Amino acid sequence: MFGKGLLKGLKITIGRFFGKKSTVQYPEKRLPLPDRFYGKPDFHYDKCIACNLCVNACPNKVITLGTDTVEKKKVVTGYHFDQQYCLFCGLCEEACPKDAITFTDDFELTTYDRNTIGIEFVKQEQVDNKIKEIKQAAAEKAAAEKAAAETKVQTENTDKEQTTNKEGGA
Amino acid sequence: MENIFVNAAGGIRNLLESAGLPGLAVDLIVLTVIFVAILVFVLLNVLWLVYMERKVSAFIQCRIGPNRVGPMGLFQTIADTVKLISKEIIIPKNTNKKLFLLAPVMIFMPPMAVFAVTPFGKGMVALDLNIGVYYFVALASLSTVIIWTAGWTSNNKYSLLGSMRVVAQMVSYEVPLLLSIVGVVLLTGTLNLTGIITSQQSVWFIFLQPLAFLIYLIAAVAETNRTPFDLVEGESEIITGPFTEYSGMGFAFFFLAEYANVLLVSMLASILFLGGWLAPFGLTFIPSWIWLLLKVYLMIFILMWLRWTYPRIRIDQMMAFCWKVLVPLAIVNIFVTGIGKYLYESVRW
Repeated sequence: MFGKGLLKGLKITIGRFFGKKSTVQYPEKRLPLPDRFYGKPDFHYDKCIACNLCVNACPNKVITLGTDTVEKKKVVTGYHFDQQYCLFCGLCEEACPKDAITFTDDFELTTYDRNTIGIEFVKQEQVDNKIKEIKQAAAEKAAAEKAAAETKVQTENTDKEQTTNKEGGA
Repeated sequence: MENIFVNAAGGIRNLLESAGLPGLAVDLIVLTVIFVAILVFVLLNVLWLVYMERKVSAFIQCRIGPNRVGPMGLFQTIADTVKLISKEIIIPKNTNKKLFLLAPVMIFMPPMAVFAVTPFGKGMVALDLNIGVYYFVALASLSTVIIWTAGWTSNNKYSLLGSMRVVAQMVSYEVPLLLSIVGVVLLTGTLNLTGIITSQQSVWFIFLQPLAFLIYLIAAVAETNRTPFDLVEGESEIITGPFTEYSGMGFAFFFLAEYANVLLVSMLASILFLGGWLAPFGLTFIPSWIWLLLKVYLMIFILMWLRWTYPRIRIDQMMAFCWKVLVPLAIVNIFVTGIGKYLYESVRW
């Protein structure tokens, strides 16, 4: 019949008209993001061993790692992530042996100012705490070593005495 | 409720007469008030229709549509209009400046003038013309000239092509539109719109003239330049046709006038075929003007439904459809109606 297709089309559109709407009202409601979504990066200061692998892995030289050596230990003093050049490839995450850099599902990265795009992950107090911790640990270790050495000397001395006593007794 | 507007007009008239004004002045003031009321009615409807179009299109496409500006997004059109008002009106270099600016001013005149003779309810007609249908069609087709003016003065090839299409399309589809109305006029024997409505007391003309209604509907879609006949502004080919060079309020006027025309053809359809302000099933407790509005909005919804269902057709298809299908069918309809009426009157069963 002529016009059958036209009526079929009208039927479909009226069905859509009364059907369920597929819009998700974005700021209030959100669609679930996949697990492997690469959003805003996240850095775990305590996990980082300052190995520089992520810096070398990055194709765009986004990451700048600042390190310092305290008591023969490497301390991360700065981890600047220049986000405007990041292409969210995840190579840094792959390269990291300690999972210190990860990507969250936060995709709202717009800022009002170009200078605020880059992320400075490491705070000065974190560095201070870490250095303090290392120094304290080192001091404790040194003290413990000293104490251990002293006890060792003492035990050695007592051992000697004992042997001499034994010898004397024999 | 039924006579609220008629009584209001009568009240104003009595007030003015008791104030001792001469009869002519009273008539003039009352008519002015009525025309301003019609103007406000049309403009409010146009604003609402833009919003409704966006909502209907959204719903048909499984979206929600505007819902941020005001409650349910009701102020979206107002926000759009305010934006368009604040925009600069750019006049291209080699245009005919006077006519270029005159076209958007004039585009609202034909629909506005036609609303003067349309009955909005029982006794609610500003001018009860005896040749209402004739006046209606004659003035409504004037939009062609104005859109042609817009396209010609823009001095732009797309505008010119678009306005040529307007002339070709609107003049061609005027023919089946008129011929389909002739069927109704044959049955009633009057061109008076109120007379046509009152003669549908027993049966609506959509049941006596189904073919005429279908032809009218198709021709009306073409007359208002809406999809599937919106070749005038086929954006993939000629940008926006005659409106290409218009910006800001110039564009807004053409945009809003399209909806005034939609309101117009829907009103004429409900008056000619759906019994105008007559209440179906004896539901007379609902006022006549509400019945007319309901029917008009049913027609508008059908037009929108068509628009968001069908794709645009080619210009040769459109012209062939008009001259090879609609016009012969309309002539056959007149012929059959005439014979049927003659038989009915001679047999008188």
